[in-house]
Amino acid sequence: MYRSITFLLLFLVNWGLAQQSVTISGRILDEDNGETLLGATVLNATQGVGATTNEYGFYSISVPAQDSVRLVFSYVGYQPRDFSLFLFRDTTLNVSLSTGVQLDEVVVQANSYKEQLNSTEMSVEAITTREAKLVPVLLGESDILKTVQLKPGIPSGSEGTTGIFVRGGSNDQNLIVLDEAIVYNANHLFGFFSTFNTDAVKDLKIYKGGFPPQYGGRLSSVIDVKLKEGNNKQFAGSGGIGLIASRLTLEGPIQKEKSSFIVSGRRTYVDIFTRAVNRSKEDNPDFNPIPDYYFYDLNTKINYELGEKDRLFLSGYFGRDVFGVNGDFFDFDFDWGNATGTARWNHIFSPRLFANTTFTYSDYQYNIQNRVTGFSFRVGSNIRDANLKTDFYFAPNNRHSIRFGANATYHQFTVGRLKAGSDDGLVNFSAGQDFSGMEYGLYFSDDIDLSKKLAINGGLRLSGFGNDNTFYFGIEPRLAARYSINDRWVAKASYARMYQYLHLISSAGLALPTDVWYPSSDRVKPQQSHQVAAGVSYILGGQFLLNLEGYYKNMDNQLQFVDGAQLFANDDLEEEFAVGEGEAYGLEFSIEKKQGKWTGWIGYTLALIRLKNFSTLDPNGRFAQESEGFGPFFPVYDRRHDLSVVLMFEASRRLAATATFVYGSGDLRWLAPGRFTIQDIYGADFEAVVPDYRERNNYRLPPYHRLDLGIVFRFFPKWGETDLTLSVVNVYDRRNTFFIYLEPEFPEDDGTGNTIEFPDRIAAKQVSLFPILPSLTWNFKF
Amino acid sequence: MDHLRYFFLLALVSMLGVLACDLEQEVDIDLPEYESRVVVECYLEPGQPFSLLLSRSLPYFSPFPPLNQEFLENILVDSARVEVFYDGRTYELSNQLFFNPFTRKLFNYHSPEKVPFDTLSTFQLSITMPDGQTVLASAQILPVVKIDSLVVQFNESDTLARVLTYFTDDPDVKNYYRRMFHRSSLDSAAVQDFSVDDRILEGTAVFGTGYNYAVGDTIISTLFHLSPDYYEFLESLEDAVSSNGNPFAQPSPIISNLRGTANAMGIFTGISYDRQAIILRK
Repeated sequence: MYRSITFLLLFLVNWGLAQQSVTISGRILDEDNGETLLGATVLNATQGVGATTNEYGFYSISVPAQDSVRLVFSYVGYQPRDFSLFLFRDTTLNVSLSTGVQLDEVVVQANSYKEQLNSTEMSVEAITTREAKLVPVLLGESDILKTVQLKPGIPSGSEGTTGIFVRGGSNDQNLIVLDEAIVYNANHLFGFFSTFNTDAVKDLKIYKGGFPPQYGGRLSSVIDVKLKEGNNKQFAGSGGIGLIASRLTLEGPIQKEKSSFIVSGRRTYVDIFTRAVNRSKEDNPDFNPIPDYYFYDLNTKINYELGEKDRLFLSGYFGRDVFGVNGDFFDFDFDWGNATGTARWNHIFSPRLFANTTFTYSDYQYNIQNRVTGFSFRVGSNIRDANLKTDFYFAPNNRHSIRFGANATYHQFTVGRLKAGSDDGLVNFSAGQDFSGMEYGLYFSDDIDLSKKLAINGGLRLSGFGNDNTFYFGIEPRLAARYSINDRWVAKASYARMYQYLHLISSAGLALPTDVWYPSSDRVKPQQSHQVAAGVSYILGGQFLLNLEGYYKNMDNQLQFVDGAQLFANDDLEEEFAVGEGEAYGLEFSIEKKQGKWTGWIGYTLALIRLKNFSTLDPNGRFAQESEGFGPFFPVYDRRHDLSVVLMFEASRRLAATATFVYGSGDLRWLAPGRFTIQDIYGADFEAVVPDYRERNNYRLPPYHRLDLGIVFRFFPKWGETDLTLSVVNVYDRRNTFFIYLEPEFPEDDGTGNTIEFPDRIAAKQVSLFPILPSLTWNFKF
Repeated sequence: MDHLRYFFLLALVSMLGVLACDLEQEVDIDLPEYESRVVVECYLEPGQPFSLLLSRSLPYFSPFPPLNQEFLENILVDSARVEVFYDGRTYELSNQLFFNPFTRKLFNYHSPEKVPFDTLSTFQLSITMPDGQTVLASAQILPVVKIDSLVVQFNESDTLARVLTYFTDDPDVKNYYRRMFHRSSLDSAAVQDFSVDDRILEGTAVFGTGYNYAVGDTIISTLFHLSPDYYEFLESLEDAVSSNGNPFAQPSPIISNLRGTANAMGIFTGISYDRQAIILRK
């Protein structure tokens, strides 16, 4: 039963009397901290039509003029509010919702599922920070990007890494945006953690298909991360101390209920311990110092309400990983990281027309500096973007929701910048390439309710990319349709054409900080894809949402590397590329429960991805699969089965428990089925075992599975709230395979000085990354 | 904050627990079936006899018997016709085991005639296998790139020195090099052995060592001038060996300069090098 909060009777001036309908618009907010709620719903209960807040928290709904209507505002996890209104003219209504005990959670749940069902959007997964904080993760550091990988169709990379391979797409085919600024490398610590500090994140949404036309530039997914705006009602703080890192977030009003700020930072501190160990052992000549490593990141955001119709947001992210080894005669320093900045202006032209204009800046770079007495060596790469975009939302009536907009991005690339030389100036050389390019997008879409049962979202995106020599143009139609079979069953289908003008040069299947972004050129054509998806959803017993979705995607201009590719300090990288096609198809199933003491989901994906028809850009280049005539091959991230079960149990206000189980087919690896011997020339070592690699990715690793458990004990001191989060990753101590290598085992040296030695045997060795791993994190909030 | 004390205690116990775990274990794996291939090694070094090693590859897990006649028969390919054509002449390499006691290298095809020093002509290799399959290749002997100087630098605070090998790369020509560095003798394991191309070298170039050498040590520095074929072969060999055990490296099939119907792998190349040896003095 809804709790009726207010009855409003608005008698307003007479010009609106002639209108057939009036528009109510505004924002839906969290009552406690003033944060806008994205995807919250407003339902005209009288007519049974509704709208949702857009990604800026703004909604617009038309209701009959001079008639009483009942509007219900709701959001999952919040108490709904309803308003009875009698309106004569367009009205702004900002509504705050509060969390707390819900009187009829099943109804709220069913309503929230219904909004999901009514939307034309499909192939979308969302994760809340609450879920991300509950789900146990490595070393107790909650990670929203890792948590979303527990959803179907988003398998992660190998053990412990954050490579994301959505519906058969490669790791570079994900558009990751933080407050609309692109994040080019979302990894810390070689992929063990993502760059997103969960304390600062408000919302994460991932599109796996059916891409709305406002998104472009990547083939396989859009991961849209929004930062919190900051508490505009009172000063607040939160933070935590974990095994390897600490976090602190401060937020508060600058001007109460008009402007606010948030600052959030975290840093790892393993280096403090390793430095102490190094100091204690510095007198031991046999001791090799432990390298220094730490990462940190900082998020800030300020928002200001300029007036009733204008809001201004400024946000920024800066993060770095720093790795160093220093000795008496040498120094090796390696750092990498992202910086992003966003300036955003929301303007309400009218209750039916909302605009958002954004300027973003993104920078990703890595730098390696190596110094040996008398000589120095520096290498690095970076990509920098400046992007201006504007988006308009126009809701002429409840049956149409129109979006249109444009963006232009200036990209600047430095690829493989290398400088080396000696102090005496005798030796001096450099290498590297600089590129620049402009990327454009122009789009229009209309979400149309054709009838109560049928709605479509049709749109078109025109994209382009140009640099000195070339210009590419892409026509990207997008179409999504929803058909409501009855109150519980909904069928959806979508088609999306995507273009990708940037390519990630990565020498391995794993995400590495030294991977380099490379622009399309006259020889390297943009990646392109078609994706179709279709599915059905069903509300089971009012509490569970079932989804079944199938997809097919084909991709052109996929990049791989030629055999023996030389990626280091290469001024002609394109000679190392092979270009081909890919196709992916699969089925995704999920069952989800969003509210109640027990929540969670089960997701299962059956998928296949195949690459084929590769040819080298260099006429003399070689590509094993084609030159040997082996035909199509599977990439390392081809995972046939992927299952995840996530259960969260809120036993009481003081106690919550979680369990996560994942099972996936093993990834593929390229192992050599044969070996031979090379004796080489005089002076060189005899090589008794040289692997002869044949078909690519010819060996499937054993299945991956793992159970993680977490328990949260909450305490409520006078000054706020604290919790102790105990998590145990890999509860039954499964040794999942990180990689396999084949090790020749040689007999002990017979002392004859014989340099020709053959091993006794070859052993296959499996390396795992972690055993059972308990951790404890202390979090606080005030 | 009592629970903080317990927190740090548990953190310590967990970390120690992880360190104590063995994360590597031996496993049984089934590799895909493998068809044996012919492997050719033939280095044309001026002044040295024509020699060629013709062997075969084996499935990865096939056993290693003792290094005896039976093993050699298993791994070496006999009864092939091996010819090198050069300057209108044909050098026939007969099928006989030839062990060079000086270089400690073994060949199973050999001709006592010496490889001429000729950087202008092309040498052609033709192998006809017992089953009629062929291996074809061509190679040249490149001019020697001289080592300009060996510079010994002692560290001020220590008695150990490093050795710098200077040479000059012709910026107008695409060059490939192999750098070898030995202590004491060429029979010992090389301290350094790697290949580079000249895209990171301009004009004066240098290869260095660490501060590892003392007065009285003999050091030998060798600079090979490689053909592109030989460089690609060595790089692919290095990639193939080093990617076994490195999850971040991409494996490479062997890139050979061999043609023909036998699907052979290996190398047929000329060898040219400059070598300097010194005894370290302060």
